Amino acid sequence: MKRTYLGEFEEIVLLTVAVMEGSAYGVAITHEIIEQTGRSVRLNQIHSALERLEDKGMVKSEMGEPTAERGGRRKRLFTVTAYGRRTLQEIQEVRVSFWSRLLNPLKLTTSL
Amino acid sequence: MSPPRLADRLLCFFLSDDRLEEVQGDLHEEFRWQVRRVGERRARWRYWWDVLGFLTSRFAHKRQPDTYQTYLMSPTMLRNYFRTAWRNLVKNRFYSLINITGLTAGLAVGMLILLWVQDELSFDQFHRQSAAINRLENWAGTGGSRQIWTSTVAPIAEMGKKELPEIKEATRLSYNYRFTLFKYKDKTFNEENTIFADPTLFTMFDFPLIQGNPTNPFPDNQSVVLTETTAKRYFGDENPIGKTLMGTDNTLFKVSGVIRDFPKNSSIRRDMILPMSLLFDQMYKGQTDGLNQHNDFHTFDYDTYVVLQPGASIATLSDKLRTIHLRNKPEDTDVAYLLQPLPQMHLYKADGSEGGIETVRMFSIIALLILVIACINYVNLSTARAMLRSKEVSMRKIVGAAKSQLFMQFLIETALLFSLAALLAFGLMYALLPAYNQLSGKELVLDFSDYRLWRLIGLTIAGTLAASSIYPALFLSSFEPLKALKGKVSARLSEALFRKVLVVAQFAVSVILIASTFIISNQLHYIQSKELGYDKTHVFGFFMRDNMSQHYEAVKASLLNQPGVADVTRASSNIVQIGAQTGDNEWDGKQKGETMFVRPVAIDKDFIPFFKMQLVEGANFAGTPSDSLHFILNETAIKRARIKDPIGKPFRLWKDKGTIVGVVKDFHFESMRKKIEPAVFYYRPSQMMAMYVKTTGQNAPQAVAKTERFYKQYNPDYTFDYAFLDDSFNRLYRSEQQTGLLFNVFAGIAILISCLGLFGLATYTAQVRTREIGVRKVLGASVTGIIELLAKDFIKLVIIAIVIATPIAWYAMSRWLQDFAYRIDVQWWVFVLAGLLALVIALLTVSFQSIKAALMNPVKSLRSE
Repeated sequence: MKRTYLGEFEEIVLLTVAVMEGSAYGVAITHEIIEQTGRSVRLNQIHSALERLEDKGMVKSEMGEPTAERGGRRKRLFTVTAYGRRTLQEIQEVRVSFWSRLLNPLKLTTSL
Repeated sequence: MSPPRLADRLLCFFLSDDRLEEVQGDLHEEFRWQVRRVGERRARWRYWWDVLGFLTSRFAHKRQPDTYQTYLMSPTMLRNYFRTAWRNLVKNRFYSLINITGLTAGLAVGMLILLWVQDELSFDQFHRQSAAINRLENWAGTGGSRQIWTSTVAPIAEMGKKELPEIKEATRLSYNYRFTLFKYKDKTFNEENTIFADPTLFTMFDFPLIQGNPTNPFPDNQSVVLTETTAKRYFGDENPIGKTLMGTDNTLFKVSGVIRDFPKNSSIRRDMILPMSLLFDQMYKGQTDGLNQHNDFHTFDYDTYVVLQPGASIATLSDKLRTIHLRNKPEDTDVAYLLQPLPQMHLYKADGSEGGIETVRMFSIIALLILVIACINYVNLSTARAMLRSKEVSMRKIVGAAKSQLFMQFLIETALLFSLAALLAFGLMYALLPAYNQLSGKELVLDFSDYRLWRLIGLTIAGTLAASSIYPALFLSSFEPLKALKGKVSARLSEALFRKVLVVAQFAVSVILIASTFIISNQLHYIQSKELGYDKTHVFGFFMRDNMSQHYEAVKASLLNQPGVADVTRASSNIVQIGAQTGDNEWDGKQKGETMFVRPVAIDKDFIPFFKMQLVEGANFAGTPSDSLHFILNETAIKRARIKDPIGKPFRLWKDKGTIVGVVKDFHFESMRKKIEPAVFYYRPSQMMAMYVKTTGQNAPQAVAKTERFYKQYNPDYTFDYAFLDDSFNRLYRSEQQTGLLFNVFAGIAILISCLGLFGLATYTAQVRTREIGVRKVLGASVTGIIELLAKDFIKLVIIAIVIATPIAWYAMSRWLQDFAYRIDVQWWVFVLAGLLALVIALLTVSFQSIKAALMNPVKSLRSE
């Protein structure tokens, strides 16, 4: 079967969702990414990325409980699907295998 | 401390509904967070910035609900639907057979009836000007004699056209009894269906001339236009134009045109058309009383059709026509004009009230009911048996079938069954058509090049298919898999109210039809066996021609010597249906402006004893010359004219002023739909052209043959056209008999289809309850107890149906009977009988299965557990 490839941003979002284990939703993910990567991320970008991921079957979502600070509105909670998890794993494996073939990787970075 | 309201509004407006909650929630949460972090003012700015980020097309559209797609119509799935549908039909052969039989019968009969209805409704609609053409009619007479004449005087057509802007064109038709015998070379035919017509007949109506000039169809008075069939009769394959026919009295006619045969659905249907000017010539040439076709307001003998200007007011037009009439003949104060649209002529009575349209409506309803009954069968059987399929449906749902796919599957199953039924129905229609035509007196054909046939077939099948497929398909595809697999649907299904309602409806319809059949046949029996006031058994009659009537006494004398001939008499008209009538009469006490129409009949002196009529008062004609001024009136005439002690009182008929010598007991000389009208007997041998021969019964054929020989002796060219009065009498009620017979057939079919459905349901119930019955038997239930258990439910439904049907049938039949002047009362026992019959039939249907189930060995039914 033909692989579905993930963009770099999508991969970050997917990883974040995976890390947050069931409490991942729009704002929380945004804050987490800003905190961890320091890039400026806008909410709408996260929403589109999540939707693309859901279209690809990497995450699934359901509506959660309403909270007061959201004005009584529910959040959409995302979890990674088995397929999404495997995709992350495969990406990781591909990277590891390339890294392992790279001779003296640290030297390369320090000498240049 | 709340986010900017305008930004929020913008968001609400822009975002799709299903996204709004989460996005707005996220934004509000972020806003609070930012307020705490950077303060309200900057948070507001950020809020705006974030909202703007969402204003892209992606967020304006709804989320895709499913990540996978189902292909409802993919060829693979379609093939699969057909395959499963076919398997199902074959697997449940018994039920498929019941369904197909019911549907085939329903569709075939329903479509045959609708074919008839369509034909009736199409009458006179084929003319381009149909909507604008009207027939002129007259009101005439006063009081009880007031009636409508559908023929008018001759001049009104030309005067109307000339003086009134409303009338664009007019045409007159008059029956031709002047020229009846036509000869060409060695071929001679007696033409009895010909007319005189104005040339506008061919331009006003769409009766296309194949040969000849439509604007000048009759170059002179000796021209004639023939229909194709008539032309073929005389000339075979020769070109008829210019050929000469020799008519009565050696008048020569030159064929100047040939028209296509009149369509079967035309009210005007003739074999030959002669020029109207010839009739006028014959009537008025050499007359000394100054009457001509432009001023004769006495002869009401012309069917007049007019084309109206669009928007012309009928009411004002008829007033204007009356004014013209009165200007020319002031004494006709009772005359009024009315117009009947051409397309209504066939189905409505002359006064515009409902005629044949009632039968059309009745039959349409019956067709609909039969189709509905057939559909109900299908719906009931398939929903009842749905339980058996609930597991299949659940499994399909579990492996991923969408509801729409299941819906499609069941739709196709129904469609497949329907196609089979429809094909069989076509075959059945084709086979039944000749018998049906004979029954209904129509000449219907299955003309597959006619779009109307296709429209009828298409609508019928599409309608019934929709009615019977949608509910079961929705029902079956809506099972919830978990419940169905746990067997929880069965409880819900067994008490399906809907199905019971449908069964009740079916049987209500059947009971209505059965009761109606009884009442119709009772009424027919009543009118045909009612005392007529004269004895017509073994009598046959025919019209003599001049040569023969001049030798009547000699013919009579020699006929009386023949074996088989019991008696002979004569009169001026057919006693079964006296057509002629006149208002030209007078008696003491007649009021000014009063008109009483009487049926005048010239009778011979032995006419009254011949027919065993009774004289209430006075004496019969003696056969002496003084009888020419004697009259015998019937009771109705005496009553209507308010004459006390009538014998010896003066009475004038036409120009003859005479006296009343007798009063004859009322007798029926018309259909029982009509009340007995005034009649008067007078004595004038020269007018007595109708001869009646009473046979002894056994030797009737010899008597007829003998009479025919005399007839031929005087009129070798004419065919001997005789009829037994019993037959002519029955012909009066032919349409009633046809209706009655068709009703019988339809009722039979309706109940047959209903029973088929009931049979299927009963079989199914018995099948489902096999184990229950087994257990009951083991515990000691009797066979009768079990039959009762199984049949009770159905019988209850049938009884409810009877209760519902009775008032409806009573109402409908009372209305039908209104049409008869002499009718039976609707009796209660008819409904009891109809109900009992339905009950017995239902019981027989149900008990067959019940008994079978009850007799089954419980060991067998329980072992399978």
